[in-house]
Amino acid sequence: MVTAQRVAFALLTVLGLTVAPSSAQTLTVDTAGDSLRIRAPGFSFLNGDPLARLKDGRSVRVELAAMVLPAPGKSVVAATRRIVALSYDLWEERFAVTTVEKRAQSASHLALAAAEAWCVDQVAIPLNALGAFGRDLPFWVRLEYRVLDGDTPADSTESGYTLQGLIDALSRRKTDSSTHALEAGPFRLPARTSSRLR
Amino acid sequence: MGSLFALAESMRTLGLLFTLLVVTPQAATDQKPSVPEGTIITSAQVTGFDIDRLSPGLREAIRNLAGTPLKKEQLDELAARLEGERPRYVAAVRTVMEPGGEARVFFVMGRQQEPDHDDNVNDRYIVEQADITGVPDAEITQALRDDLKALVGKRLDSGEADKLQERLDRELPGYDVSRRIQKGGEVGRIKLLYEARKKEPPPWLRFEPLRSNLIYHSEQGWGGFWDVNIGDRTIRFVPMFALANSEDSIEESSSVGLRFETRKLGTRRLGASFEWSWFDQDWRTQTLGALPLHPEIPLPYDTRTTVTPLLKFAFTPALSLAAGVSISELKGFAPATESQMANAAVASIDFDREWKDKSDVTHRAVASFGVRGGSRSLESDLAYTRYLGHGTYRFDFGRHHVQATGMAGGITGHAPLFERFALGDSTTLRGWDKYEITPVGGDRMVYSSVEYRYTGVSLFLDIGSVWDANTERKTRVSTGFGFHAGPAYFVVGIPLNTDNLTAIVALGLRIPGVGIRW
Repeated sequence: MVTAQRVAFALLTVLGLTVAPSSAQTLTVDTAGDSLRIRAPGFSFLNGDPLARLKDGRSVRVELAAMVLPAPGKSVVAATRRIVALSYDLWEERFAVTTVEKRAQSASHLALAAAEAWCVDQVAIPLNALGAFGRDLPFWVRLEYRVLDGDTPADSTESGYTLQGLIDALSRRKTDSSTHALEAGPFRLPARTSSRLR
Repeated sequence: MGSLFALAESMRTLGLLFTLLVVTPQAATDQKPSVPEGTIITSAQVTGFDIDRLSPGLREAIRNLAGTPLKKEQLDELAARLEGERPRYVAAVRTVMEPGGEARVFFVMGRQQEPDHDDNVNDRYIVEQADITGVPDAEITQALRDDLKALVGKRLDSGEADKLQERLDRELPGYDVSRRIQKGGEVGRIKLLYEARKKEPPPWLRFEPLRSNLIYHSEQGWGGFWDVNIGDRTIRFVPMFALANSEDSIEESSSVGLRFETRKLGTRRLGASFEWSWFDQDWRTQTLGALPLHPEIPLPYDTRTTVTPLLKFAFTPALSLAAGVSISELKGFAPATESQMANAAVASIDFDREWKDKSDVTHRAVASFGVRGGSRSLESDLAYTRYLGHGTYRFDFGRHHVQATGMAGGITGHAPLFERFALGDSTTLRGWDKYEITPVGGDRMVYSSVEYRYTGVSLFLDIGSVWDANTERKTRVSTGFGFHAGPAYFVVGIPLNTDNLTAIVALGLRIPGVGIRW
C-alpha cells in the first residue's frame, strides 16, 4: 500500500514537473476596448539581481515590448513598448510601478505577481494597428523585457568564448543578451472573448 | 520606439541647449545645412555621458553606425534609447558634414532638471542615518562626509543619492560602491547605506593566448588544434589536443598536452607556468625528401615530448619577462632506440598595451623578443641559439581595422627541426606553401604583413623570406583577401613574384579559446 502511494506520488510529481513549465509560460490575448491585451501569468521578470536591487530599496527600470507577428521569426506587424520604473516599499513590503512617460501612470501596494501583471498590461496593442490580422488572419504574439538598470557584464574577451558564446557566435546571433522573450501563437482575434494559446 | 520614449519638446530645455553649446562648441558656429539622408557615417560618438555606462547592446548599436548610410529615423531611435536608459538625461542628435562628403554623428547628452515626481516609493520616508562602510575614514573627504550627513533628517531624494554615489565612484576609484536602503528604527524612517568594497587590482601578467582552430589549407590539407581554458582570473589549466597540426612550424603532428598557469605568486608581478606536451610526428614527404640534401640539419624524429617550466615577472602591466627551460626528448624512428635531447634555456621579454584615444579609436601594440639556447650544460645533445623578435600594431575604429605585423629571427648551431623557421601557412605569407618553398624550414627569417579589414572583409599584403645562412635569400610577396564572420574565415592568398600564379585557399574556424570558469 505504501509502495503504491509512493509510486502514485512520484508519478504525480513527475507529471507536475512536466506540466509546470508549459503552464508557467502560458500567454493569452483578449480585446479590451480598442486594444489587444496580453496576459502572461508566468512571464516573470522580477527575480535575481533586479529583485535584490528592489529589496535594497532601489528602483529598477524595465523595458517591455509586445509585438504581433504573422508567424514566428517574421517581421513585426505592430508593437507597443513601455518603460516602467519599479520600486519596493520597505515598510509596506509591497511594489510600486510607474510608467516612464509624459503622462505617467502608476500603481502601488502590489504583490510581486500583481506588479508584473500590471506592467504587462501596459503594453496593450491598438487593434487598428493590426490590419488584416485584426480581422481574419492568425497571428503570433511576442512579449519581451529588458532590465535597464544593471551591472555591465564582465569583459570576457581575455578568456575567449564561453561555450554559449561560441554557439552564439557560430549562429551569428546578435540579440542583446539582456533581452528575454516569450512567443506564442497562433491566435485569432476573438470578438471580445479570451483566446488561449493553442 | 522614438515616439514612445521621446520626451516632450519642452523637456529639451535650455539645459540641453547649454550642453550643446558647451560640449560641442563647433556646433553653434556650424551654419552648414543638415546632412542629407544616405550620407555615409564615418563615426558616431556620445558626448556629455560616459558611453561605457550604457548597456552593451546600445553601445554596440551606436558604434555600428560607422560605415552605414545616415538615416534620421534610426538616429532618433537611438537617441530615444539613450533617454530610455538614462531618464535623467536628454539626448539630441547632431550631425556634422565632413569635407570629404561623409558625416560624423554626435549624440549629445545633457542632464535634465529633476522631474517633479520620483519613481522610488521609498522617497516618502525620512532618512535617519546615511553612512558609508568598507573604506577607511581617511580616504573620505570632509566635503563628501558633510554631503552625506546633509541627507539625514530629510525625505529620501533618490536623485541626490544617485549623485552622491557618482561622486563616491569618482573619488574612490579603487573601490566598488553599492547602495542600499534599510528600514530605520521607527516606522517611516530609513537608513541609506553606501558599501564600498576594495576592487581587486587587475593582474599584470597575461595568460598565454588561447588559439583553438580548425583549418583547411588547399595545399596542406586539414588540421586542428583545440585548447580549453579551465580556471579563474588567477590560475588555469589548459588541456590541449591537436590533429595534423602544421601551423607555425615545419612539423606536422598530432599532440596532447596540458598547461598550468598562475599569474599571481604572492604578488601580481610574479607568475609561473608549466607545460607538458607529447607530439606524434607525421613528416611531409617534401620534408623527408629534402633532409638528405641538408646533412647539417639534425635528423627527424618519430615523437617529441616537451616540458617547459617558466617563471614570469612583470615590470609594469604592459612589460614582462619570462624565463625557464624547455626540455625536449626526440625519439628516433625505429629501429633506432636512442633518443636525442634538445634542452634549452628560454627567456623572452614581452610588451602588450592597449589604449583608446579621444575619438574612440582603440590601439594595441604587442611586441616580444625571445631567446632559446640549447646547451651541453643542460645535457642537450643539440647546441644552438635561436632568436625571434615579433611586433604587431592594431588599430580599431568602428568597422575599420588595420593590423601591421613584423617578425625576424635567426638560429646558430644545430637546432632541431621544431625550432626552424617556416613561412607560408594560413597566417603567414598567405598564398605560398611552406613545404614547397622551404620544406625543411630555415635558420633565418624576416617577415612583415599589413592587413586592412572592414567589418568582415579583409585585404592583405605579406612579404617574407626564409633561408639558410649559407644560401641565397629570396623575398616572397603575396596578397589576397578574406571574409570573416565571427570565428569563421575564408582567405584567398595569391603569390605575386612567381611564374606559378596559383591562389591558395585557407578556411576554417579560429577561436580564441573556449572557457570553463570556476
